[in-house]
Amino acid sequence: MAHMMRNMRVPPNSASLAEAKHKTLEFFRMCCRSIPEIMEIYNLYDVVSPSQLRSAVAAEVRKNSNLTNPKVIDMLLFKGMEELKNCVDHSKQRHHLVGKYVVGNQGLVQDLGHKDQGSSNFLKNFYSGNYF
Amino acid sequence: MASALRSAILRHIRVPATQALSANGSRLIAVRLMSSHDDHITKDEVINRVLEVVKCFPKVDPSKVTPEVHFEKDLGLDSLDTVEIVMALEEEFKLEIPDKEAVRIESCEQAIEYVYNHPMSS
Repeated sequence: MAHMMRNMRVPPNSASLAEAKHKTLEFFRMCCRSIPEIMEIYNLYDVVSPSQLRSAVAAEVRKNSNLTNPKVIDMLLFKGMEELKNCVDHSKQRHHLVGKYVVGNQGLVQDLGHKDQGSSNFLKNFYSGNYF
Repeated sequence: MASALRSAILRHIRVPATQALSANGSRLIAVRLMSSHDDHITKDEVINRVLEVVKCFPKVDPSKVTPEVHFEKDLGLDSLDTVEIVMALEEEFKLEIPDKEAVRIESCEQAIEYVYNHPMSS
């Protein structure tokens, strides 16, 4: 998967859920391997440890753990790859990472659960369409 | 002055003849300097450090962790947690475990075995 970091392009669709799961774990591994570099680039040693960042990435992945459509998973993987590439290429600034991955998962923004899970029926209908 | 001091010191210094030089070749292979294989960590150290890493994982109950514990069956972790632990082990022992072998590490026992047998672990 490392070549995908260098020249980002849309990878072929996953044929099955198992393949998508495998790709997800591979992506997670790739994120974990870039963490030391990211810590170095953005000078994060005084605010967070590598294991906390790993857990933050895992939490981001777990947010979407209820998905079963391989195409949707592929799409999210692509977005994740994009985000990772932006971090590694220094396209972000320090406060972007601190806000999203260091403070974000405990303090200011608390959305660790599955997306759309706890919301009301009204909201679910509202998201799914205009007519109900 | 300096030479007098030197000779005075040298007169009192005795260097014991080393065993390795006197024995005829049998004890010469004790230490290979600059070799990565010699200061290999012991099995006990591997076990302790692996267990420490697993215990430090936030979702794990430290009292349940034993050297034989299975990550998914005994500790109730999922595949993502397992990958996270394996990555933590990589960081702890300064390894890079290839994906194919990382998939096979599913319990403390396998992790200890892998790390212990890896020549580069430190």
